Amino acid sequence: MTIRLRLRQPPSLRLDLRGLLPAVLSALDAAQIERLALAHGRQSLPLAEFFDVAVDGDGDTLAFEGDLSRCDRVGWQMAGGRIVVEGSVGDYAGACMSAGALRIEGNAGWLAACEMAGGELLVQGDVGDFAASAQPGSLDGMRGGSLVVLGSAGQRFGDRMRRGTVLVFGDAGDFFASRMVAGSIALGGRAGAHVGYGMRRGSLVFAGAAPTVAPTFVPAIADAPVIWQLLARDLARHGGPFADLAGRRVQRQLGDVAVGGKGELIIVD
Amino acid sequence: MIHNGLYNGVRIDDTFAEAFPMKATRLLITAHNLTWARHAAVSATGFATSVIACGCEAGIERELSPDETPDGRPGLSVLLFSMSGKELAKQIERRVGQCVLTCPTTAVFAGIAEGEAVALGKNLRFFGDGWQISKVIAGVRYWRVPVMDGEFVAQETTAVVKAVGGGNLLLLARDTDAALAAAEAAVQAMRRLPNVILPFPGGVVRSGSKVGSKYSGLMASTNEAFCPSLYGLVAKSELTAATRCVMEIVIDGLTEADVAAAMRAGLDAGIALGASAGLLRVSAGNYGGKLGPYLFHLHKLMEAA
Repeated sequence: MTIRLRLRQPPSLRLDLRGLLPAVLSALDAAQIERLALAHGRQSLPLAEFFDVAVDGDGDTLAFEGDLSRCDRVGWQMAGGRIVVEGSVGDYAGACMSAGALRIEGNAGWLAACEMAGGELLVQGDVGDFAASAQPGSLDGMRGGSLVVLGSAGQRFGDRMRRGTVLVFGDAGDFFASRMVAGSIALGGRAGAHVGYGMRRGSLVFAGAAPTVAPTFVPAIADAPVIWQLLARDLARHGGPFADLAGRRVQRQLGDVAVGGKGELIIVD
Repeated sequence: MIHNGLYNGVRIDDTFAEAFPMKATRLLITAHNLTWARHAAVSATGFATSVIACGCEAGIERELSPDETPDGRPGLSVLLFSMSGKELAKQIERRVGQCVLTCPTTAVFAGIAEGEAVALGKNLRFFGDGWQISKVIAGVRYWRVPVMDGEFVAQETTAVVKAVGGGNLLLLARDTDAALAAAEAAVQAMRRLPNVILPFPGGVVRSGSKVGSKYSGLMASTNEAFCPSLYGLVAKSELTAATRCVMEIVIDGLTEADVAAAMRAGLDAGIALGASAGLLRVSAGNYGGKLGPYLFHLHKLMEAA
């Protein structure tokens, strides 16, 4: 069935939506959903205080309507099913998700997809700082799944990321892929300062403007045509700035040697 | 054209080939150009005629154009067959490690997606001595091992599937020239088909064997009933004074239907040459039908559309 939660008006404080997952809600009827407790600031209030609930049809989709930019943890620890947000969301969108599909038609706040381990997250707008990174204090960032951002990304994107595939169609802020452990990130636009700062492994693909490369990266004298074709062909199916990657020439920079890293910045000509 | 088992003058025996279950995998070997892909594939499928002493039976299945390979380079698909998944895994590792990893510019990928996963690049990565890097692309893990021409890329695992080994045809001909011509024509026709390999040299084996031997410890020995040099000497020969040379073609395939299709293609090619070209009879090797679960009756193959 499809469960629609329409936010009547933006909450006055931060509203925590953890636990509102397709698998959980599909086992409940509308009245039970309305009684679910949500954390609003320091208070715990029933869901019906904020949302109109409608349950209909088949499928396992959970749809949110309205401006949820003060609603955090949409799709938190999601492990299956489908969530669609017809608007913007707050922080931690899709954080710790392990399976399923989450689509955000607006923007996402800070820490989107942080520690994401599987599934697919699509943000049609922008993401804030620390997307695809680790929760504060945690050692490992995103560790699986795919994140596609059609807009731009804030700072520290992919901090400590260790697995998974990420595409950002727009620009990215400073410290893009800082302390990255592994994984693949492709950027269609322009990156800020200090790309790959302290990265250990992983691949950063710059399909748009060439970034400023730190002196702690070394130019690769050997090509890597096989892995580039495998990666480029996979990225190409997302279209946009990545559509023609497989046919383009690339230069690679390796590092960050300041931390003994062997990651690669793949700069598309 | 059909007269009591005669097709274009070639007698098709009322017998059957007996085949066995095997485990198989397909590998896709690509390289900078087809020449180097072929060097790797030939090397990796070398000394792989029979599981009796080679560990596996292997061969090149076909050429792959750049648009058929994962990395857009030319390549070849090879099939490897063994009696157990464990032995096959060992052979894959040895052969890929010594013959593909070593060969300039090559990369290796799994050619079968569904099945039990066995290591492909998973253990070979340690050649990288810590410099190897894993890359997961579209859910598939690859290993990038630094080598002197750049890097060797190998998919982490390949899938092992159940397969059928030991389909065969015996071509009984007037003389060596006729037997070779018939065998070569049959091999050419069978190699056009997917999912099969002919593991012996040139696809042909001249030392057809029977199970056992007068010598203890020998698993197989010459099949004297088909040896023209023993005609008149052995108590029971399968030959006549007119059939003075016999060649066998052994077929391993991914499924029973693949082996059957290849046998039929070989039969058709032999029959097309006909008795006038010196192919007098086609038979098949079996063990009485008690050992192998797959029986390929020649007459049934001929009856199939």
